[in-house]
Amino acid sequence: MPQKPDTEPDGSGRSPGHRCNPNNPSLLADTAPLSYPEPTLSTAATPTTPVPGAGDYATFTFAYFAVGVTVSVAMVEAGVSAARTMTAALLIYSATTQLAYLAVQAADGSALVGVLSGWLVASRFGILASSLGSRYEGPPLERAAAAVNCFDPNVALAIQQAEPDNVRRVFWRVTASLMIGWWTGCVVGILLGNVTENSAALGLDAVFPAALLAIIGALLRRRDGLTAALLGAAICVMAIPFTPGGVPILLSALGAAAAFLLARKTSTEDAP
Amino acid sequence: MSWLIILALSAGVAAQRLSGMFLAGPLLAQRSRLAVLADLLPAAVVAGVIVQLTFTIGDRVVIDERAAGLAVAGFLVWRRAPLALVVAAAALVTAGLRFIT
Repeated sequence: MPQKPDTEPDGSGRSPGHRCNPNNPSLLADTAPLSYPEPTLSTAATPTTPVPGAGDYATFTFAYFAVGVTVSVAMVEAGVSAARTMTAALLIYSATTQLAYLAVQAADGSALVGVLSGWLVASRFGILASSLGSRYEGPPLERAAAAVNCFDPNVALAIQQAEPDNVRRVFWRVTASLMIGWWTGCVVGILLGNVTENSAALGLDAVFPAALLAIIGALLRRRDGLTAALLGAAICVMAIPFTPGGVPILLSALGAAAAFLLARKTSTEDAP
Repeated sequence: MSWLIILALSAGVAAQRLSGMFLAGPLLAQRSRLAVLADLLPAAVVAGVIVQLTFTIGDRVVIDERAAGLAVAGFLVWRRAPLALVVAAAALVTAGLRFIT
């Protein structure tokens, strides 16, 4: 459903005086973020700014537990020692990067190609970090700490907050819930060894995509957000058979650029 | 995966995250119109990740039990169901279909 200025509860399209109440998830968030001097597109506010509740944090923990188990099982199966698996989980700090490297290694690719594809799939974290960096206010060291902790759920939820304080609060709370799941998942994965078939039988591989879909749910209710997601998905599908691992996801960022240009064009036409 | 490779991967990933935060982020923030783009980037990139996780085996595009799980998740997200329900339903549907077939 497109968010139009005249559908704002107070009719103004923006109301800097409103504060977001983190304790009330159902609060209608009619605030355009204050960092927008010209919210002419009025797309900044989502119909309901998703402030996560306790059950949501538990689910993030579970989703990242599933990811952690998957990654460390893959590492152990590829013959990586427990110490290196834990170090990689701590330092590389990117499940997709580790899986991409292992995929190249399994296909007898060179270490250089493996490292390059690991970097390539992590480029989405650079994009997410730039999105967060445009909103996150704080001292440089705190921003650096936030940068290295950028994942999909914490950035996607943090940037949907209207108030700078809420951006920080939601980012770090979601980050903490992810970390608990990631670490316990990595340890359990190492201990369990081969559980991949069981986790598929339990449908655990469907957990992460479903959680991601819910996380961008509020963005999908905006016309430009839905356009960006659909274009991103379409570009990714088309690129998968023809490009090496990681590139399709990188190309899906073009969906955002296209949706952005489309929305600008529409708003210019709508303007008198 | 040698120690050297772990270090190389770590440095590359951290460098991209930091440059996003400190180089590209402020650029997006300076231009108010571009701030909308910062909103849209996660939507598009996360959609790409969902596609990659749901519709592929290696570099082949496939539609299997995971697609049904994602469809149910999509319906529940549209109905504003809680995250825990969305995730549980997706896993149950995917596992259930695998059990039947």
